[in-house]
Amino acid sequence: MYQALSISLRVRDRLILNNVDITIRPGKFTAVVGPNGAGKSSLLKVLAHEQRADDGEVSINGKEISTYTSGELSLVRAVLPQSTTVQFAFSVMQIVMLGRHAHRTLRSENERILKEVMALTGVEAFRDRNYMTLSGGEKQRVQLARVLAQVWDETVYPRYILLDEPTSSLDIAQQQQIFGLARQVCERNIGVMAIVHDLNQAVQFADHLYFLKDGKIVASGGAREVFTKPNIEETFCCRVNVYHDPCNNCPYIIPERETFVYTPKLKIN
Amino acid sequence: MQIALPITASRNTAVIGGLGILLLVAVVCSLTIGAVSIPAKDVAVILLKKLGLFSSVEVNSTHEVVLNAIRFPRIIMTLLIGATLGVSGAALQGLFRNPLVEPGLIGVSGGAAAAVVVVVVFGSVMALPSSGWVYNALVPLFAFAGGIITTFLVLKLSYQAGKTNIAVLVLIGVAMQALTGAVIGLAIFYADENQLRTYTFWTLGDLGGATWEKLFITAPLMVASVVVQLLQSRSLNAMALGEAEAFHVGVDIERTKRTIVFFSALGVGVGVSMAGVIGFIGLVVPHLVRVLFEPDHRLVLPASVLGGALLLILADVIARTVVSPAELPIGVVTALIGAPFFIALLLNAKRKQEI
Repeated sequence: MYQALSISLRVRDRLILNNVDITIRPGKFTAVVGPNGAGKSSLLKVLAHEQRADDGEVSINGKEISTYTSGELSLVRAVLPQSTTVQFAFSVMQIVMLGRHAHRTLRSENERILKEVMALTGVEAFRDRNYMTLSGGEKQRVQLARVLAQVWDETVYPRYILLDEPTSSLDIAQQQQIFGLARQVCERNIGVMAIVHDLNQAVQFADHLYFLKDGKIVASGGAREVFTKPNIEETFCCRVNVYHDPCNNCPYIIPERETFVYTPKLKIN
Repeated sequence: MQIALPITASRNTAVIGGLGILLLVAVVCSLTIGAVSIPAKDVAVILLKKLGLFSSVEVNSTHEVVLNAIRFPRIIMTLLIGATLGVSGAALQGLFRNPLVEPGLIGVSGGAAAAVVVVVVFGSVMALPSSGWVYNALVPLFAFAGGIITTFLVLKLSYQAGKTNIAVLVLIGVAMQALTGAVIGLAIFYADENQLRTYTFWTLGDLGGATWEKLFITAPLMVASVVVQLLQSRSLNAMALGEAEAFHVGVDIERTKRTIVFFSALGVGVGVSMAGVIGFIGLVVPHLVRVLFEPDHRLVLPASVLGGALLLILADVIARTVVSPAELPIGVVTALIGAPFFIALLLNAKRKQEI
């Protein structure tokens, strides 16, 4: 289990995260949704140990996160950022191989893992190309392959991947592909946590859903149970209607048109 | 389907081997060429005699003296300084994720030179010895301190929102060069007639001052600088993804940063204390390696060690021969090669809208 308990984070006088609890379970897809500025990325940074919380505790598999060295930490958790620029002309394969940086595994083992994750993410076809020349969607798939290479080992302890709005610059097919792959890797006892911008995508792929607003968790639980009109309207200050999609057997929302009028402190009864 | 890694690995071995052979040839040429020209055969025999072989073979004793007292220490120093500049340039470029960074450009060399000039000129005022082994040890120490202070300042001042702002970095580097230049100028202003000539030495470099005594102290430091930086190559590869991402894949970023800044300042500082400021080697060599071969730091760093040494040996041969028996300052030669190269790099970066 990947757990954050009573996390608070202050930047100068602003409270960015306020007493946040979140649990990422192995083999499950946990999504965090919330309006811009809610503290989603800060939460991910705290979880990844990139930033220290002012209060509260983060633990992975029962062990406090600060007791891990950066090398040990990378064996249990990987992070996929929104986008990644690379300065020098590294090839796709070299980038994916960076996921194995902290692993002390044999070269043959690394190559086997590389082969598997590149096949899964479909980057094998352009594995020798210069990363800098790829399109946005291709780049993100390469980075996902890199992240998967980092946690692909069959270990007794569960591993986790944290995705920070991984599809923000991708088209709709590429978005489905990335989330579909993330969903698929859950089967390997990998816990997935993703910040998801699109609410319909969140409920389509996630097992657990957290609503974050002004640094606080306002609702959480099984994705379909908490994906309700009041929860969404309270979190996003926007009127929506929830329907059922028989094709995916999953709820979906459509926002109401009049709420496009900008009213930051809209109270909804 | 086969992963191409073994192919890359063997090609890298070939690249390193090729550079090694070129370097060897350059070293032999460099040993034969000079005010006194010594045939390669004599060089070889004298070398072997030094190793305890062929001790009975007679060679021209002037040649032996010239080689032993002048050329051997000079070539060894040139090799070490070239190697240190090459590897420090490569490591700093990797660390800053920018191919325009160079020990001279970000003020390391200038800071080291300024510190040394202050010691040399004001040393007597501060009651420091002006020769002997204490002096020989003290000068590199001050150079290192000057180098690390300027690097730290440049790093700190160009840091913005979690990363290094390259435009600011380059400008701060220019300011630092001006500042350290002023310190050198000021110290020279107060210097006596004898010390006056050293201005050229500190600003344009001079490889002529090598002695075995100096090498005895400085060579281990430069070797340490090269070796430790070579060990950072895997971490530098991960740094290419960005600092946060490098941390995610398991790099101890702060330690990597500290190690590279410390050991590049040590190596470059010590080099400056022996031969003054020699620019552009650290810029040109790593960039050429990346363009000609590939960006993997496991190749770029060792190839820059050899390439830096090779380029400086060749530049030294040019400096010693074109106006023989006089000598051009080595910095003039490296700048004549390096400055146009730097402009080409900038134009290329501009075209790609990277700056």
